[in-house]
Amino acid sequence: MSNRANVGGWLKGKTVRKSGIISNVHTARSSTPQVQSTSSTLFSGGVKDASGRTTEYFSMDDQCPVCKSDRYLNPKLRLLVSSCYHKMCESCIDRLFTLGPAPCPICQKVLRKLAFTPQTFEDLSSKEFNKRREDFFDLHSYNDYLEEVEDITFNLINDVDIPQTEARILAHRKENSALIELNLQREEQYAQALKEQEELERQEKEQRALELRREQEIEREERETAQREIIDRLETSTKSAAKVIAKSRAEAMKRSSARSTTTTVLRSNAQLLRARAAQSTVVPDPPHVPLQDDWYAYEDLYTIRDQYDDMYSDAVRKDREGIMRAGGYQVEEAWDRALRCAVAGLDLAPLSGLNPSPGRTDSAVAFA
Amino acid sequence: MHTSGQPPKYITIVARKGRTEAYVTYESSTWSETAKTIIDEMIKAINGMAADNAAKAANPQINSSTVKRSLYEGSTQYKSWRYSPEQLEQVRTSLNAAAVAVIRDTFEADELGSSEDVLFLNANEEQLLVKLYITKIPQLCGHFRFPEEVEATAISYLKRFYLKNTVMDWHPKNVMLTALFLATKTTNNPISLESYTSNIPKTSSSDVLDLEFLVSQSLNFEFAVSHAHRALWGIWLDLQSLPDVSEDLRPQDVYDIAIKHVRASRFTDAELIYTPSQIALASLALVSPVLAERWADSKAAQPLSATLDPTLGSIKYIITQMGHPPDVEAVREVDRRLKLCKNPEKVPGSKAYLARQTAEQRRAEEKRNKKAEDVRRAVTESGNPFGSELNEDEKAKQLAELDDDDD
Repeated sequence: MSNRANVGGWLKGKTVRKSGIISNVHTARSSTPQVQSTSSTLFSGGVKDASGRTTEYFSMDDQCPVCKSDRYLNPKLRLLVSSCYHKMCESCIDRLFTLGPAPCPICQKVLRKLAFTPQTFEDLSSKEFNKRREDFFDLHSYNDYLEEVEDITFNLINDVDIPQTEARILAHRKENSALIELNLQREEQYAQALKEQEELERQEKEQRALELRREQEIEREERETAQREIIDRLETSTKSAAKVIAKSRAEAMKRSSARSTTTTVLRSNAQLLRARAAQSTVVPDPPHVPLQDDWYAYEDLYTIRDQYDDMYSDAVRKDREGIMRAGGYQVEEAWDRALRCAVAGLDLAPLSGLNPSPGRTDSAVAFA
Repeated sequence: MHTSGQPPKYITIVARKGRTEAYVTYESSTWSETAKTIIDEMIKAINGMAADNAAKAANPQINSSTVKRSLYEGSTQYKSWRYSPEQLEQVRTSLNAAAVAVIRDTFEADELGSSEDVLFLNANEEQLLVKLYITKIPQLCGHFRFPEEVEATAISYLKRFYLKNTVMDWHPKNVMLTALFLATKTTNNPISLESYTSNIPKTSSSDVLDLEFLVSQSLNFEFAVSHAHRALWGIWLDLQSLPDVSEDLRPQDVYDIAIKHVRASRFTDAELIYTPSQIALASLALVSPVLAERWADSKAAQPLSATLDPTLGSIKYIITQMGHPPDVEAVREVDRRLKLCKNPEKVPGSKAYLARQTAEQRRAEEKRNKKAEDVRRAVTESGNPFGSELNEDEKAKQLAELDDDDD
């Protein structure tokens, strides 16, 4: 029970043994060792079967994300998980899916009533293991951390080394309490920022719609005035009718094109904002270099030219259809190889004597 | 430290271990919550940095570009197939002596005193025979229209093979065919075995394939060889980059004669002593010393020709003195004597060959019997190889478990 006290708010649960067939089997197999008492362990939440494996998880903090009723309001609250991994309570499922397949209220995927299964573990990552890529010095240690989280999750689900795993979780919490708190705050901030951004976009959209309406209004008015103008001018001026109409049409065109440029500026601003928001979440990850060798390839001893007067590659270079280069043959590479071969080991003194010292050139020279 | 009434906006922490330092600057608003984390992370980081520095100090080759090894020094040609002339001589004489001792023993085991009047080949005679078969390779390659790469590689293989084996064990006639066939494959010019053997008179596919593994093994499976003809091509191309070499200074026939010298060098031991680029340069120097000198000088800050001269001189000497096929009459005499002193264990039909074969068969038979016995014992001792039958209780239990899963 002392462990219980440490648990804090997020893992208070109880153990309920299933009755019926399972318990019969359980008595029949009583010779096999079992995890008998799980009440003292940290992860006691949920219904466990005879082998001590959690078949259904629940805690006091459960709340249905759809109808928001929690265990305080409804002590018999039972959350089930859909095939799209969204939780909801049994009454919501009854309400939504009794009349046949219906869309998931969260992700809109079409679901059936029978496709709901009990929850078998709690979502650890959201609360405790919420470290981010930025909290690590390199990708490697981040990957180690993810691996550890996976290990712990696996152990919890399959009841492997429960006490040890719990110790690991406790240690993690102790070590990183500040960071966990910070990350929780960060997530909240991020969610807040997202919400704000959405709000901003919505406002922008409204603004744009309003503007559009106003513009249409203005346009219509302009068109009317233009027509009126044309008629006025036709009445008053002495010029030919066709000329007058063409002139006022051109003016109208100019005005409308000026308007369209202002709207595109507005739109591109919004796009820029969105792109910047996307950029800020990208973690820099430099490309992996598979081979890092230290060979000296005589780069300073030759420079390859674009063209050579070369009888060997004449045919290849004149081959316009590229049939001879079909396998990816590049005459420049052949030239490069030949040039490298021409300077490779040029200053290497030959060995002499019966037991020349193996290895470097200078020592061989000294021997000679 | 801040002196004004406002709290500082940023806090910088310095951690130090020996000469290694780490700095972290943090916004002061997040300081109180994250202080412990930051310090922990910094301790970790500084430990890592100190370890890195220690590793660098211990092994300065890492990350320093000055002590790079050149590509040629990484090749197997440099590592395993580079000899001094004295070493070559010693390898060949000791190989010959060892082979003669073994074959003499075989003769004696066969019939006491039969080896007394046998005149075994010495190292030079072996070398002569190999050289004759080396000269056959260009003829065969011309017949098959193989590229020069194949020809040069096959010749290298043949030379290298007889640095590990003796002519008295393996006749170069067969080894030459195998080496050439192997070279077509390793240089990416493959040809089918049928078309290969059907174009060479009195050759069956087993003549080629039987020795293939032995040859590969003798070559240490080091098939990559770089050749002087490619180096000569490179020099010829690079001459066009020299400003002081005009078109009329390098007529095509200079190259044609130089490549003939390169081909002549293949009949010699030059490639086992010198690098391909040196052989190519020496071949060019034989035709046009001016071109060779200018090119060599352009490759180094100080005139390279001075340091290279003795090397080039000895290559030139080797090419001009030994770069020709051997006298056929002398080789014929060697070949006649070889028939008498061949290792009898390798001659099909001879007494020693049969004795060796029966011994090998006996050994294989023993091995097979032992394996069969092992298998039999394993089966009888453990009963059913698929495990014992399930008894009724266990069956019921397993069925119950299956039920359990369904619920």
